[in-house]
Amino acid sequence: MERRDIRADSPTEKERGFMPAVSINPGRLLFTAGMTGRQSDGSMVEGGMGPQTQRTFERLRAIVERAGGSFEQSIKQMLYVTDLEAYYAQGRAARTGFFQQSRPASTGLVVRRLADPAMLIEVELVVDLQEPPQGGFKLEKFDVEAHGLDFFQGVMVNGGRLIYLAGQVANNPDGSVAGVGDLSAQAQKVYDNIGYVLQAAGATAASAVKETTWTLDLEAWREHGTPVRRAFYQGDFPASTLVEIPGLARPEFLVEIEVIAAVA
Amino acid sequence: MAHTAIVSEQAKPVANYQMATRQDSGRLVYISGQVAWDAAGNTVGRGDIRAQARQVFQNLRQVLQEAGGDLSDLLKMTTYVTRIDDYPTVVEVRQEFFPDGLPASTLIVVASLFHADWLLEVEGMAAIG
Repeated sequence: MERRDIRADSPTEKERGFMPAVSINPGRLLFTAGMTGRQSDGSMVEGGMGPQTQRTFERLRAIVERAGGSFEQSIKQMLYVTDLEAYYAQGRAARTGFFQQSRPASTGLVVRRLADPAMLIEVELVVDLQEPPQGGFKLEKFDVEAHGLDFFQGVMVNGGRLIYLAGQVANNPDGSVAGVGDLSAQAQKVYDNIGYVLQAAGATAASAVKETTWTLDLEAWREHGTPVRRAFYQGDFPASTLVEIPGLARPEFLVEIEVIAAVA
Repeated sequence: MAHTAIVSEQAKPVANYQMATRQDSGRLVYISGQVAWDAAGNTVGRGDIRAQARQVFQNLRQVLQEAGGDLSDLLKMTTYVTRIDDYPTVVEVRQEFFPDGLPASTLIVVASLFHADWLLEVEGMAAIG
């Protein structure tokens, strides 16, 4: 719905394919999960950054098209890479072809590790489907591949209002840190806090549209965090991204989770 | 204001930010990660976190103003730093730009940003109008 590109003539972002900001009147929005160069059999595509970037955007395109949209309608792009030199050498060129002349708002980060150590790039998109809402408020969660993992590849928000949660950490109401040195306890506390905040907003776990999990140790998160996460969402997962980073705001924090939700 | 702060008694923020915000009306604005670029595209404050933070928050404010709003319209912001030791300085500078407190907020330490000279990057979403 009537997109406005902000500072579209900015000399800095222009040559890099980004827009400083994009403004829309939200009607129907698509949030994708973080996508990577994974193939249908679960293995990574061969050949490093170039082929992984190509594959990543092909998979994103399938999600966007399934939602009835196109790449040109992307309003935000989030790029996570583990090897910046390889991205500049091979990844960026592979990316450019998909967007043609359009430019989304964008953030690029170098993280320590993605879900699989062989993954060099992960990308997520927010897409304005440029349609008015169809009927009442509704979330439509879907997959374009049978991946069997704990997330949906795309979530469409039809009407309603968006809720942006701060990154949630294992803090008690008095400001102290819960579960110091204990990832299971921190995971429980983080999801308790997410639940409380969603409840205060008139939402539930099922209202979650997009989730980003920032962890200091991805393997430990898989072991200790995943059971807590499954119990929280009960199968009604959001589109998700999981990355490993070197630090959070306090040294005691082992994980931080951000959620975007939507309500009527 | 096109948004409402969400307050929970059971889950409280660890600093002066909101736990969540809800967009109630207006246009939704997604803002790229802002770095310490001046208008000509030169990185300012090489090695100087305070100078970079000032530039970044100025850029963020400018983008919002050109979208017809201001920093107070932010729903959420995410601050990425490359060195956790820079965090107190970032908070200090940020305070100058947000005297009345922050929107929903996240801080993450990343391995690096997309240029070796950049020490922080801040992105956000806003509801304007």
